[in-house]
Amino acid sequence: MTTPTTFKPVSAPRPGENSTLWLIKIATGPVLVLVLILHFTVNHYLGSMSSGLMTYDDVIQYFQNPIIPAIEILFLITVVSHCLIGLRGIILDLNPSRSVLNITTWALVILGVSSVVYGIWLALTIASKSV
Amino acid sequence: MNNQPSANKFWAWFNPMGRQVGGWAFILNRITALGLTFYLFLHLIVLNQLAQGPAAYGGFIALTENPIVKLGELLVVAAAIMHGLNGIRIIFTSFGIGVTRQKELFYGFMVVALVAILFFAARMYMG
Amino acid sequence: MTEKWNITLRVSRQKDTENQHFDDFKMEVNPDEYVLDAVERVWAFMDRTLCYRHACHHSTCGACGMRVNGVEKLTCITPIRAVTSNGATLKVEPLRNFPVVSDLAVDMGAFYRKMEVVSARAVLPITEAEIENPATNWPQNDAQFLRLSDCLECGLCISACPVAATSPEYLGPAPLAAAQDVGIHRNPELLGIVDCEDGVWRCHSAFECTAVCPSFVDPARRIMALRTQVIGAKLGKLFGKA
Ligand code: HEM
Ligand code: HEM
Ligand code: SF4
Ligand code: FES
Repeated sequence: MTTPTTFKPVSAPRPGENSTLWLIKIATGPVLVLVLILHFTVNHYLGSMSSGLMTYDDVIQYFQNPIIPAIEILFLITVVSHCLIGLRGIILDLNPSRSVLNITTWALVILGVSSVVYGIWLALTIASKSV
Repeated sequence: MNNQPSANKFWAWFNPMGRQVGGWAFILNRITALGLTFYLFLHLIVLNQLAQGPAAYGGFIALTENPIVKLGELLVVAAAIMHGLNGIRIIFTSFGIGVTRQKELFYGFMVVALVAILFFAARMYMG
Repeated sequence: MTEKWNITLRVSRQKDTENQHFDDFKMEVNPDEYVLDAVERVWAFMDRTLCYRHACHHSTCGACGMRVNGVEKLTCITPIRAVTSNGATLKVEPLRNFPVVSDLAVDMGAFYRKMEVVSARAVLPITEAEIENPATNWPQNDAQFLRLSDCLECGLCISACPVAATSPEYLGPAPLAAAQDVGIHRNPELLGIVDCEDGVWRCHSAFECTAVCPSFVDPARRIMALRTQVIGAKLGKLFGKA
């Protein structure tokens, strides 16, 4: 069937929200479920008053076990990637022009990388303090 | 002619009228996603208090005794539970599991979410 | 004696550059008539300027899609009884996400183009069809038998899709479902067409398409199956002949 040439192509393969980003968004989901369960349990159940990590000392104490900062950093990386890819997906639904989309993507990458760097610094700082 | 797709119709994403169960789930997912994303960055900034030592963090914790802040915290927990469970539903259906039962999956997960939220609320306000 | 209802048909009107407004038409109907019959009655007896689309009157041509009380319906098979009650108002509006040409008639050109882009099949061998109630005694050697594809190209799914509301380029439910029906194994070019920004990953699982589809397409399920096809095809490329 021939296609009238007056129509511009509807869809052509373009890099961007292809299967890779989608798969990351999907794969981070189950990880987030597990860490969030841990996060909420810890922050609302453990601690000196058994009503969550409600004091500074509680948090420092909790971070003494080296597995904890490791989990926090895993959490940080997955949640930041997941939510920024998700945010990009929402922006994509606004049908931005190619250049606006490129700028958005870079802005999100910068935001993501700096949050992760800051968060890792924070986790390591807390872990290095003593009660 | 003003009926064609256009970016300034983004409010249509959130309009529950003329939509059905799956559409409402989409709305809930998108609103909670945006809320959680906003909260995440706020949270990271606030946690800086931990690096500054006991006094600063103590001041922040005192703030969480404020009923409005407490309610906000509950909202965040609720949003995460709803978004997370709905996310699992989306993941399942994306791989063909339960696609034809997506409504029932949504209702089921939201009942679980309600129970979990009430549990946390009780913990926060009465624990 | 046939039952009679008095209803008010509230019809969306919009000509040229006019803003949308509504005209009310009071009429007597048999509740077992269809919504399209009520719309036609307006044109036949009350207002000759009313524009709307229809052809077959039996859910085949896909032309009569409208929003009935806000929800997408194929009006030729939607009984008035199912969508309103005696004495009530019944609102009909054009489909969402398509430019209004006049009143209830919308321009579906871009949508038909997308169906062509994915080389949607109008007919398919019966052996490849997913049939709701397959006949048990169907001839075994039947590749010669063809069947109309389930999709009527009515556009209800595009109208109901929240993503399509803001993204004119998004392929949308029916074209993605058609791509799944053709299959990447039969037409490898489809991989590039659907594995892109405006393709299969743009679906955010609102399931509105399946909720409104008047036929046996279940576009949401097919979109998910298409994702599996795409991932399979890409893995095949990665580990296969490369
Ligand atoms: C608890 C575990 C979580 C799971 C299982 C999960 C799962 C998902 C899934 C499957 C999607 C895809 C939805 C779609 O494409 O329509 C999604 C979208 C999204 N998620 Fe999550 N998520 C979780 C937690 C979070 C958290 C904690 C945040 C924010 C900090 C977040 C932010 C987002 C955003 C911004 C989107 C895009 C929403 C949209 O497109 O409407 N998610 N999530
Ligand atoms: C409302 C309930 C919440 C409370 C009370 C809370 C409290 C805390 C506290 C006290 C910490 C310090 C470390 C620790 O104790 O684990 C922390 C870290 C963290 N929280 Fe939350 N949080 C809550 C919800 C969330 C949510 C919903 C998210 C995701 C969107 C999140 C993401 C994080 C991340 C990524 C860290 C690690 C930061 C880092 O180590 O750099 N939190 N949270
Ligand atoms: S998939 Fe269903 S709703 Fe969409 S155009 Fe085809 S028949 Fe109509
Ligand atoms: S008039 Fe042909 S499908 Fe309704």
